[in-house]
Amino acid sequence: MTGFLQNTFNGLVSGAFYALLALGLAVIFGMLRVVNFAHGAFYMLGAFGAYVLLSEAGVPFWAALAIMPVGLGLLGMALERAFIHRLTRLDPLYNFLLTFGLTLILQDLVKLRYGVQSSPYATPSALSGSVDFGIFDFPTYRVFILGFAVAVCVGVWWVLTRTRIGMVVRASTERPELTRAFGINVGRWVTPVFGFGIGLAGLAGVLAAPMRAVNPLMGADLIIVVFAVVVIGGLGSIFGSVAAGFGIGLVQAWGEAYLSQFPIVSQTIVFIVMAVVLLWRPAGLFGREEAPA
Amino acid sequence: MRRTVGVAAASAAAVMLVAGCGGGGPQSGGDEKLTGGKIVLGVLNDQSGAYSELSGKNSVTAVEMAVADFKAKHGDDAVTKDITVETADHQNKPDVANSKAQEMYDRKGVDLILDVPTSSAALKVADVAKEKKKLYFNIGAATTDLTGKSCNKYTFHYAYDTYMLANGTGKTTTEQVGKNWYILYPNYAFGQDMEKSFSAAITAAGGKVVGKDGAPFPNTSGDFSTFLLKAPTLNPKPEVLGTMQAGAELVNVVKQYNEFKLRDKGVGLAVGLMFITDIHSLTPAALAGTTYTDAWYWNFDQQNREFADRFQSETGTRPSFAHAANYSAAMQYLEAVQAAGTDDADTVVKGLEGKEVNDVFLRNGKIRAEDHRVIHDAYLAQVKPQSEVSEPWDYVKVLKTIPAAEAFAAPSSACKM
Amino acid sequence: MTSTVDTPADAARPAAPSGLLTVARAPRWLRYALLAAGLLVAFWLPNGLYPAVAVDILCWALFAVAVDLLLGFTGLMSFGHAAFWGTSAYVTGLVAIHVGLPFPAAVLAGALTAALLAVPIGYLAVKRTGIYFAMVTLAFAQMVYYVANEWRSVTQGENGLQGVPRELFGLDLSDDYYFYYAILPIVLLGLLAAWRIVHSPFGRVLVGIRDNPARARALGYPVHRYKLTAFVLSGFIAGLGGGLFAVGHRFVSLEVLHWTTSGKAVIVVVLGGIGTLWGGVLGAAIVVRLEDWLSFSGFETIGLVTGGIFVLVVLLFRRGIWGSVAALAHRWWASRRR
Repeated sequence: MTGFLQNTFNGLVSGAFYALLALGLAVIFGMLRVVNFAHGAFYMLGAFGAYVLLSEAGVPFWAALAIMPVGLGLLGMALERAFIHRLTRLDPLYNFLLTFGLTLILQDLVKLRYGVQSSPYATPSALSGSVDFGIFDFPTYRVFILGFAVAVCVGVWWVLTRTRIGMVVRASTERPELTRAFGINVGRWVTPVFGFGIGLAGLAGVLAAPMRAVNPLMGADLIIVVFAVVVIGGLGSIFGSVAAGFGIGLVQAWGEAYLSQFPIVSQTIVFIVMAVVLLWRPAGLFGREEAPA
Repeated sequence: MRRTVGVAAASAAAVMLVAGCGGGGPQSGGDEKLTGGKIVLGVLNDQSGAYSELSGKNSVTAVEMAVADFKAKHGDDAVTKDITVETADHQNKPDVANSKAQEMYDRKGVDLILDVPTSSAALKVADVAKEKKKLYFNIGAATTDLTGKSCNKYTFHYAYDTYMLANGTGKTTTEQVGKNWYILYPNYAFGQDMEKSFSAAITAAGGKVVGKDGAPFPNTSGDFSTFLLKAPTLNPKPEVLGTMQAGAELVNVVKQYNEFKLRDKGVGLAVGLMFITDIHSLTPAALAGTTYTDAWYWNFDQQNREFADRFQSETGTRPSFAHAANYSAAMQYLEAVQAAGTDDADTVVKGLEGKEVNDVFLRNGKIRAEDHRVIHDAYLAQVKPQSEVSEPWDYVKVLKTIPAAEAFAAPSSACKM
Repeated sequence: MTSTVDTPADAARPAAPSGLLTVARAPRWLRYALLAAGLLVAFWLPNGLYPAVAVDILCWALFAVAVDLLLGFTGLMSFGHAAFWGTSAYVTGLVAIHVGLPFPAAVLAGALTAALLAVPIGYLAVKRTGIYFAMVTLAFAQMVYYVANEWRSVTQGENGLQGVPRELFGLDLSDDYYFYYAILPIVLLGLLAAWRIVHSPFGRVLVGIRDNPARARALGYPVHRYKLTAFVLSGFIAGLGGGLFAVGHRFVSLEVLHWTTSGKAVIVVVLGGIGTLWGGVLGAAIVVRLEDWLSFSGFETIGLVTGGIFVLVVLLFRRGIWGSVAALAHRWWASRRR
């Protein structure tokens, strides 16, 4: 039982990263109809930024947690204005390709400057202990990540449901045609929303720095899993992406713990879930069936 | 209009790019002493991916240092003064390694290919060497197949292999740290080899493997907590966690090992494959007390240190064992050509087989004729606590020198030259 | 200008007007001249290029044409075609090693297996369009990658499948120069097949579906089934390329199934020109040659160069090289006629 709870907890922690990344992808997709391939690269930049801030300027983890999402959000806005904006009137595939190219460039730029070897990053001392849950104790940092990620998701949810900006974003995410039909000017929110989504990826990256290897390729394979997560959750659905993120984290952790004698299954479980979801609900668990295209 | 010109220029450049490359058909070799009248060394390794810091371009520098030293040593008596170094990046992709190796032998006139990390690429290049009947010294790959079922007359395996890594660490750690082990390995060829070799070494030294698990490879979630949490709950409780993960995965395991405070719970850490660059990544603080086997350490003695100082003045960093091994391999090849008076591969192989050597990398070294394994002393190293690190890159102390004969496995019966 | 997005239905089709149509409007003698020139280059290639590189170009040309068949002519961007290229490479290698068939038969077996694999993946993937399709194919390809990675008893996992023979009735094909000419007919057949598909009534329906799926459906075409058929055919042609690649390198590694291989195929097609078919061949030649050159150049960041070129193409030359040249030629032609 203790083991099961521990695995569950760890699954939720992994899921927290998927959820933050999928949430950013979903918000961006909702507003721009762009699937941002470079999301994994921005996650990597978040972690790398935290490392560079610490090693070259002595900026601690807590400050990085604020600086990197904002900084990357601004970078994201600049990229949106400079490149992505130019292609939004075309087939969304072009922006998918563009961000794929950007991914290669960003990865190599970091590689060029810092090499491929993982860079060191220590857990902040205030979070390096462990929390006693009675039946088992758990690293404080993991508890912090889970709490923080849930708080961010709830916060985003609050903004989306309780503020006017949120209403516009949510409306244009989930009912794009209708929103425009009401004459709401969606355009002015496009760039900030893109920056916001990138900021979330950067935030996930900073959170990952103390517990994952920080190197230029850390986001490269991860992004594929996150794609599967958003397909499962339903690409247009903000709630779906978060729920699927935590869900996939759980499924992976349980698979690793209880299906370890079938490594093929535990390795591919995310994709198996995706196949089942596609058969059963092609639009994703929480997605709305798109207009036939 | 500007666009038109751009397109035209781009397509013209494209045509030139495709066409602009002469030469083609098979080349014929003359009957001169040296093919093409010169010696060409080829360093084929990863210059942009995961192994680029461990070896990469700095290995090219190491080989160039060997060429300079060879010329200085023999002066006018040198078999030739025309020695060049070619290099290519295989990007850790075996298919690229395959094309580059063929191209090096065929078109660049390379007499010897050096390095080639990653097992799949290494095995493929061994195949190419056999077919082209040209020499190949592998340094960067760990698979024992190179001197086992995939061995051949033209391939030599320098530096290290999975047996060397497992045997020293498994045996000595069992004797000195604890008898009960939990082994965590990445579930692929390298990890499985390492697990088997470790288990054998531990059992032989009177220890016991209490539990072992193959973690998914590649581990996309980056999370090893399932395994790390399991370790202290086993009965009897393991005193040592042996991790066979490498590179970024090793970094993840160690970070999470510290997160779960396993050391405080009485579970020590032993690492299957660790390079000095990994310690640099993780910082000695995260690894203090961890034991592993090293093929060479730059601050081991005066001779190594002098080489390391020269290397640092050329490259700005301390050499890893792969750099030193590339230097040594190039040097030993040049000496063999010097002794033979020709770069004919079969003659050089004959001269190398059974040769006993001592140089900055090879201590009590011997080039075994049976399987072309180059054996030499290896070192059981322990990561120093941060407080004892007195200068950059000085991260480990050598606990024990493992004599060459013990460090490597006896020649495998699977190897048929 | 605001960056308001139009509804997906209005979003532009692939920007390149089918270059093929453009060339088709060119006079007949020009088309024959181009064909003759192309064939001449194909026959000359290993004399001017390192033969191993020339062999790679042929394999990648097939791969690119397969991807373009979907991307350019069916409007489906597969970001997971490594699954078919790689599966065929493994099956070809295994058949050649364990059964000892002549290599064309082994390649055929590989390509057929790839086509077979394309049935379930395609069945699930064509339920979605556009960007979803790209993500779904990407994820399934990664799944195939993991299966090959874990199924070590068959694929040899990380070490790769070594020692794939180049058997052809006892002929000595160990020299890549001769091997190039041995596979050239197979590659030309594959390209011809792709050309036939595009020009068949079936191909015209595909283009119709690409341009207006709702209309195609209204006209009574079973859109999903057409897309699935195109997907399977494309998987087969990609499989031909992958099988030849395995025999060409005489081994197979996991790299053939990795998503970066799928990405490279898309780069090749976009660079050559989406919807131009022959643009993919040109793109393959350029990318393979460029990578070969870069890895000897001592340049550490190949991704920076390919990524940079790719971003430029996507931003500025969306028609790709073939498409841009064809459009230029067409404009020149039109102005002369006036």
